[in-house]
Amino acid sequence: MRPEPGGASDALLDRARAGDARAFEQLALEIERPLYRHAARMLGHDDAEDCVQDALLSAWKSMASFEGTSFRAWVFRIVTNRALDRLRSRKRHPELPLDPPAENDDSASWAEPVATGHELADLAADREALRVVEDALANIPADQRAALLLRDVEGFAYEEIATITSTEIGTVKSRIHRGRLAVRNILISRGWKGSTG
Amino acid sequence: MHPFGDLSAYLDGALSSEARASVQAHLDTCALCRTRLAELRGTAQLIAKLPMPVPSRSLVPRVAVPFWLAPLRTFSTFASGAAIFLFLALAVLSSFPLAQSAGTAAAPAAAPAASQPSAFAVSGTPAAQSSPDISLSAPSVAPVVSDNRGAARASATPSDAAKEVGRRDQSGSSSNNVAADQPRLQAAAPQPAPFAFLLSPWLWLVVAVAFGALSIIVGRRLRST
Repeated sequence: MRPEPGGASDALLDRARAGDARAFEQLALEIERPLYRHAARMLGHDDAEDCVQDALLSAWKSMASFEGTSFRAWVFRIVTNRALDRLRSRKRHPELPLDPPAENDDSASWAEPVATGHELADLAADREALRVVEDALANIPADQRAALLLRDVEGFAYEEIATITSTEIGTVKSRIHRGRLAVRNILISRGWKGSTG
Repeated sequence: MHPFGDLSAYLDGALSSEARASVQAHLDTCALCRTRLAELRGTAQLIAKLPMPVPSRSLVPRVAVPFWLAPLRTFSTFASGAAIFLFLALAVLSSFPLAQSAGTAAAPAAAPAASQPSAFAVSGTPAAQSSPDISLSAPSVAPVVSDNRGAARASATPSDAAKEVGRRDQSGSSSNNVAADQPRLQAAAPQPAPFAFLLSPWLWLVVAVAFGALSIIVGRRLRST
């Protein structure tokens, strides 16, 4: 969906590996906004900037040891891990919100749409609907949210998401499906009847 | 049995060819699964269309910039501010010593003017005769002071004053007196302090401008990277 940049970025990657700071900065600039988008949806806007900046600095420090081919996937892995670490740290503080209850994890529960409502396909242009989707994403478990965002927003393949989140492909498949289903159910609960496809 | 758990992977093209064929065969005959698949597709499309948040600042660490550049900008900014402060402070303070020195210089200059008429009155010499002394001693303060001392002594005892004026009149060329006074003047002149130039406000203005320019240049360099 969003392929790794081409030959020019490969050359930049080689230069960055060799310690060229400007090459690294150019590579980082290309993915700065997607990284922030991902972190902001994982953590909220307040922590997202620090998370991305820390991750990019960490990437620069470890650049010489990077042996993969996808700089983008590698940095997304760092950002995702840091975001999940921060979320775990929040969970240790009782005043901060926890992940939602496990009932959203039930992939077998398909909420039935009410009789009157909008079709999902009509919602894309509706700002209110997008706000509902954002709320829904914020209320699903963090590991599902990470997998869903990496797939539906960033366009990573399941294999890449497995690498980024350090899990098996089967786990990625399950998380994405449960996450989508949870968001779908929240939308249905807000009155939309879903698409008849 | 409905393959609900595989619908998302089917949607994303993440199933093996056998599993994909199996799901496809089921979808051909199951309206409910087609509906669920459409709902999941619509959900994925909504998630993909979420607006992109924009960071409030650049998040790329400036690793290409020498580590000392940012501290240098901070230092030069503060140094420029401090130099401006010193410039203003010294400019204000320097106005007071000028007023004081002007006052102290005016006092001795006024003293001979007040005391000389008494000396002239004692000797009875017309004022025009003593004008060479006055005109020669006028350029510097020290001769005026020495004349003042002489005048003070003269005013103390009128006869001594007459002798003093007489010696002056007999001494011939007054340029000899000035020549004799020169070494004393040079010895009495205060030596400038070695770091007196630091008290010049203009020096600090130059320093402020220099550090300000450095701060701007470094700031541009930081922004350009």
